[in-house]
Amino acid sequence: MNPDPAQGQTNKFKLKGVVVMTTAMLTFITFWKAAAIVLCDFGSSAFYAGGIAMKAIGPAFPWYILAIMIFAGPILMMYIEACSMFTRGGIFPVVKAGLGENAAKAATAAILFDFLLTGPISGISAGQYIVGFINSVLEYFNAGISLNGDGFSILFAIAVTIYFWRQNIKGIEDSSDKNARIIKFSVMICAVLVFWAVITLFIKDNVKLPPLTPHFTEASLGWAADIPFLKYIGIFGIVMALGHSVLALSGIETLAQVFREIEYPKIQNLKKAALIIFVFALVFTGGLTFLAALLIPEDLMAGKYQDNLLAGLAMSLSGPTFLKLILQFCVVAAGAVMLSGAVNTSVIGANGLMSRMAETGILTDWFRKIHPKHGTTYHMINMICIMQILVILFSRGNLYLIGQAYAFGVLWSFVFELSSIVVLRFKEREKKREFIMPLNFKFDHYLIPVGGILVVIVVVVLALTNLITKQVATVTGLSFAAFFFLIFNVSERMNAQKANDIFEEGHREKLNHIEADSLEKALAGLEGSNRVLVAMRDPENMYPLDTILKEMKDDDTDVIVLYVKPVEHWRIGKTGMARSVDENELFTNIILTAEKYGHHVFPIEINSNEVFYAISQTAIAAKVKEIVMGVSGSYGAHDQMERLVMAWGVLQNGQTHIPMTARILWEGREVSYKF
Amino acid sequence: MDNHNNNLPLILNEKRIFIIRENIVKKDLVAKLVHSICAELPALNEEEVLSSVLKREQGISTTLDTGLSIPHARIEDLEAFQAAAAVLPEPIKDDYGLDVKVMFLFLSPAGPAFFSSHLKLLAALAEKFNPDFIKELGNTQDKSQLLKSFSL
Repeated sequence: MNPDPAQGQTNKFKLKGVVVMTTAMLTFITFWKAAAIVLCDFGSSAFYAGGIAMKAIGPAFPWYILAIMIFAGPILMMYIEACSMFTRGGIFPVVKAGLGENAAKAATAAILFDFLLTGPISGISAGQYIVGFINSVLEYFNAGISLNGDGFSILFAIAVTIYFWRQNIKGIEDSSDKNARIIKFSVMICAVLVFWAVITLFIKDNVKLPPLTPHFTEASLGWAADIPFLKYIGIFGIVMALGHSVLALSGIETLAQVFREIEYPKIQNLKKAALIIFVFALVFTGGLTFLAALLIPEDLMAGKYQDNLLAGLAMSLSGPTFLKLILQFCVVAAGAVMLSGAVNTSVIGANGLMSRMAETGILTDWFRKIHPKHGTTYHMINMICIMQILVILFSRGNLYLIGQAYAFGVLWSFVFELSSIVVLRFKEREKKREFIMPLNFKFDHYLIPVGGILVVIVVVVLALTNLITKQVATVTGLSFAAFFFLIFNVSERMNAQKANDIFEEGHREKLNHIEADSLEKALAGLEGSNRVLVAMRDPENMYPLDTILKEMKDDDTDVIVLYVKPVEHWRIGKTGMARSVDENELFTNIILTAEKYGHHVFPIEINSNEVFYAISQTAIAAKVKEIVMGVSGSYGAHDQMERLVMAWGVLQNGQTHIPMTARILWEGREVSYKF
Repeated sequence: MDNHNNNLPLILNEKRIFIIRENIVKKDLVAKLVHSICAELPALNEEEVLSSVLKREQGISTTLDTGLSIPHARIEDLEAFQAAAAVLPEPIKDDYGLDVKVMFLFLSPAGPAFFSSHLKLLAALAEKFNPDFIKELGNTQDKSQLLKSFSL
């Protein structure tokens, strides 16, 4: 670029290039979109959780699904507490901080197991809904034929997995707008279903509440059948029934993954998102499952509609069959997009989780290998999708079988993560939390998390019970977790030196950038009515940016974060200031700081031989109302401010003066000047 | 010279304006300008003032690519901004290789209350002494004309 007429003259101040860091231009999303992303995974279990629970515990299943959805409330609160401590949360960093690295690896293995099954269970379930609808249409027209549900579902699930494998290899990012549209559509269908179902309940006179007592099959008792005294402990039956319904909780972990993307004010928005998730899941999963149990005839529920319960609800309403078919189509459409979305989320989630492990050096470079064309971690994506397809094939499309195994990953990831949150109350009691799980009492210097401990006790009891009752889950889950735990450990040993280097160097973000032809073009993407320019240089000193983001109360301010990279013929003083910094570290820390507050930042790098000239030029081009910078260790704030006003003065060139404030900030102090 | 627009007078007179045609190094030029101010203000310790100005010169450069150099210092017990200036038809080099065509040295009253005026003066000088203006000054032989031109 050549934005500066002075270029080419060695004794002139000049800008030699403008680079916009596109990776660091984080876009933060509203609480509603964050909730939609989580619900596309968490909410999708409404389509299959009821059917699987019914097969395990009989007609009492809606009570237990409802109870589990209510229990989602305290779990969501625990997650909010974890997010308030870790902006880039997720299971690995939280468990590592609370319970140590080995526990973190085990927890990651458990959640990976969850992700690997989320894809197949969602794909197969979507297939079951589609084939159910096709068969309903064929029946309506008396075609006399029907499709094989399992065969079609296997093919559909494989096709969906391959589709999303390709999308992820190509690196097409998930759109929160798409998720929001899916959830809006699902809410609409849910409202119609509830409304119509309530009318049907009034019309039908023989509707009975489902029984509370669960009835277990031999398969759903698992090894518990061999422990005779358990049958005399009534509460154990309830715990077993809850254990068979717990798969409805799958997908909550997405909340921790999405937290980094939530806009300011982060925790308040997270709370709103969690509330939406809770209410939606309660009504959509808990409510619809309950209505399905009330309205679908028992024989159809256990047969035709076992794997497409909500379609069964649509077809069991009072009204003309044709209208019910239309509603079933809508339910199937909502289910197909939501469940397919969950397949995608599972690939993204597993890839993200493994990438996080790879970034810490636990996984070798083979896992981190970047696709030469698309720049994605294709080895990991290949591995995840191959395993998902194998699960689809080996399960032969049996939803119940996958559902049985599924709960293992869900529960054990909760056990580790929620225990860790409780342990952190003691281990890191000083760490700032914007939200804490309710029910606490103060003892000595500690805030004893009674509520948290109760939630942990419940998940531990459920997880231990499931070890006994869910043979498939125990065998496959433990085998898988052990396999991945082994991979993590072997890989970490092979990668010991690299892991050490990564530890020493700290986390580094992968940065993409584009070179702009001019400063004006680089700044063309700014939309806010207010603009602030924050000049950053020291990766260890985020204080100026931190202060500005903390002070920001509106969404209408663009924060331009500028790093001026020194070039030859440095013109302003001693060499200290001209020293180039680790740009990757600088922009990584800028990203992390922006994420912490949920404010969008616009990071740019300009090559120049005069930092204050570059800052002033950028400030003028962007029409900022404030220039902010940190204090220089070499010169001091007064010298810096003097040079800044000189550079500003040179660039005015008789133009109308725009009111602007310059601030130099350092710990608790500030030098400012209003131009 | 006119008051500069911040309530405090900026004192500059013909005796403190120089047209330098001979070879001179920047440090000596600074000393010459400091001397011209201190000669009129006996209360000032010339050595201390020069030391303050040179100390500031060790910090971030006070020379702009327009050719203007603004050595300055903030001095205790000063009641007005005091200035001296030199026009150099043949530029000299500053410590970082930039051409100095005009040197405008000023002393500000110390203390936080005056810092804003101090910055305002720096900005105003940087804005006024643009390349065309400096070129014009280089062709001016008359100190009274220069004094007139320097008014902010």
